[in-house]
Amino acid sequence: MIMGNKKQNISGAFRRWLLLLVIIAFLATTAFLWISQTKISQNNAVNLLRLNISDVREDIVDASDENLLKLAHQIANDLNQSENITSELLAELTEKYDVTEINHINTDGIIVASTYPDFLNYDMRSGEQSAEFMVLLSGETEHVQSYQPVSYDASISRKYGGVTLENGGFVQVGYGAERFQKDIDEFVVGVTRNRHVGEGGLIIIVDENWSIVSDRYGNEGKNLDVTGIWINPDEIAENQSFVAEVYGEPCYCMHQLTEGYRIVAVMPKSEAALSRNVSVGVTTVMQIIVFAALFIMIFILVKRLVVENIYKVNDSLSAITEGNLDTVVDVRSHIEFDELSNDINSTVDTLKKYISEAEARIDAELAFAKAIQYSALPSVFPPYPNRKEFDISATMHTAKEVGGDFYDFYFVDDDTLAFLVADVSGKGIPAAMFMMQSKTLLKSYAESGMSVEEVFTNANEKLCEGNDAGMFVTSWMGLLNTKTGLVTFANAGHNPPLVKHADGSFTYLKTRPGFVLAGMEGIHYRKNEYQLEKGDVIYLYTDGVTEAMNVDNELYGENRLLDILNKNAESDTQTICDSVKTDVDIFVDKAPQFDDITMLCLKYNGEETSSMKELTVAATVENIQVVTDFINEQLEASACPMKAQMQIDVAVDEIFGNIAHYAYGEKTGMATVGIEVEDNPQAAVITFTDSGVPYDPLTQPEPDITLSADEREIGGLGIFMVKKTMDEITYEYRDGRNILRVKKYF
Amino acid sequence: MNINKITNGNELAIALEGRLDTATAPRLEAELNQSIGGVEKLVFDFASLEYLSSAGLRVLLSAQKIMNKQGKMTVKNVNETIMEIFEVTGFCDVLTIE
Repeated sequence: MIMGNKKQNISGAFRRWLLLLVIIAFLATTAFLWISQTKISQNNAVNLLRLNISDVREDIVDASDENLLKLAHQIANDLNQSENITSELLAELTEKYDVTEINHINTDGIIVASTYPDFLNYDMRSGEQSAEFMVLLSGETEHVQSYQPVSYDASISRKYGGVTLENGGFVQVGYGAERFQKDIDEFVVGVTRNRHVGEGGLIIIVDENWSIVSDRYGNEGKNLDVTGIWINPDEIAENQSFVAEVYGEPCYCMHQLTEGYRIVAVMPKSEAALSRNVSVGVTTVMQIIVFAALFIMIFILVKRLVVENIYKVNDSLSAITEGNLDTVVDVRSHIEFDELSNDINSTVDTLKKYISEAEARIDAELAFAKAIQYSALPSVFPPYPNRKEFDISATMHTAKEVGGDFYDFYFVDDDTLAFLVADVSGKGIPAAMFMMQSKTLLKSYAESGMSVEEVFTNANEKLCEGNDAGMFVTSWMGLLNTKTGLVTFANAGHNPPLVKHADGSFTYLKTRPGFVLAGMEGIHYRKNEYQLEKGDVIYLYTDGVTEAMNVDNELYGENRLLDILNKNAESDTQTICDSVKTDVDIFVDKAPQFDDITMLCLKYNGEETSSMKELTVAATVENIQVVTDFINEQLEASACPMKAQMQIDVAVDEIFGNIAHYAYGEKTGMATVGIEVEDNPQAAVITFTDSGVPYDPLTQPEPDITLSADEREIGGLGIFMVKKTMDEITYEYRDGRNILRVKKYF
Repeated sequence: MNINKITNGNELAIALEGRLDTATAPRLEAELNQSIGGVEKLVFDFASLEYLSSAGLRVLLSAQKIMNKQGKMTVKNVNETIMEIFEVTGFCDVLTIE
């Protein structure tokens, strides 16, 4: 319901995004690791280079220091044995020990003798480099300096060593790199040639002229260029790593100048990268494992905690939207779902409340509509007790809601009874309203004296007007001539009625039906005729009868209807209707009723043979005589005994006098008096009919006839006398008329 | 209906002929109203009266009430039909019938 087929499901979307996130995190971490490991491996390489250079340097310095101090001690011995130290002596010693420079410094730190005349009287304290030797005047016996620029001329580099003299002061011996390198080259080669920096790195020593002193590959004496390294000291500072291709392999390199040697440490890049590659590789594998575990765990959690609960909620919602409002959403695993369940349940509860309120209101309105609908149909049976030519009964049993069925019958003139059943399409209020409209139209057209097919033709036109709802009515309508029994009828798409023939069996009165009413404008309906003989019955019904359905979805059907009618062929009309309804009820059993069940049954008895005579005159006291004469004429024709006639005359006087006095108040209305003389036993039946105020004289209290003249009230005696002298007296109020009937046997 | 009235001093005799009913009773009532003053003896002769209705009974009752105060009223020559009416209505106990 919520998830369309083309939309992503939550777990799918979550899976995709989570995967993307994991990949990004993985790449970012790996890249960071790569960069940092690269940096670390570089640093490690540089540190290694620096460490190696430092080691080599110390070895060289130690060797050269030892070399120089050895010379300085030999010179100091020579000087201790001479009486006088002169610059000439120093020059001789310079030659002897092949050094560059010898200075004699007195206890005051002043150069008192030197191989260089310029140095005489130089105060050792005045230069930073030379000042270091002042330690020899403070207790130290020897001191050596590294190879470095001298104080008085920075362009010259010397290595100086000093040894105290027995006679005070000290001697300082200095020489250039080429001098001591002669002595220590071999040593330097020894400590560097087979030295490994890391696994595959090496140390190369060159002299101040870039000539190789020591090299693993035996290029001693050649320029450093042959290794592929080219150092411009102005651009590449000492102890700073740089990259060069050494013997064809990219390497990290570093150089340092020590004691006139340039130590070049070399380490292949690949070796530095190896550690990085190993560490990144291992970490990557670990990351893949961790991220995969994380991904799977989060995915499973989301699926279990969110998606499955959403599906549960969704299932309940589906049940609710399918109409089962009693479904309860009950996902309580987490606070959020608990609240969601509560919200949905309370929403459904509110909805249920509104629905039941609306249903109650609609039910009340429908019941009201139903009552109006019923009240529009003739419901008192027998409807015409005075009409002996026919009997008529009709019933309508509506389904649960108001429907569109109706029956109707009425006199359109004294001898013509219109009767019909009809079925409006659809149900509910619209059908009920359309039914009322149809009923009214048919009646007004019929009462205007039209023939039956004209009634349908005209009603159809009217019903088609503004029939936007597209409703329609099927109807079968007949006009019975009560004198002749001839039924003229028209059928607008309705089920054929059944008629009972002289042999006592019913058959369907099938004729070609016309189109339904309100279905299409311009329809002309046909008139059909059927002659009812005395005792014939015609039974009209709607499809609610034949299409009543039982629990097995079987239809009641035309054959069952025919059977039950034939079983009741001799019954009166009301019994026929009731029997069919009972039979349908038994058939349907517990299945619900879907459609209205409506039927009308009319039995033709033939024209009345009795000799009812009627007189209609203005209800005035003056006309009592006219009425009495009319009655007496009939009675005398029937050889009525004198006494009975007198009593009847008194009754006429009382009853007609009452009508004249009271029925119409101050106004004057009409009254009809009818008389019929019955045979065997002989009796006169007289009816008085007026359309004045409803008044039942039979309910008047009887006067107390035992009172004396003075106590007695005047009045109330008339009807009392009638009751006493006549054999039967009945009253009814029907169709706006008071009908009083008296019967006197004679 | 014909009303034959014979006055003899304070004695009044009324003979009715025909039918005393709703239509005719008012005439008898008018006649009595006019003549009953001072009458001490009132006699109705119903020998020729065919029948009477409740309207006639009313007139007879009101005449009886008056005569109860000022004298005596009798009804004579009552036929069978009218006698039955008097009987069922209890008038035979109220009226003096000879």
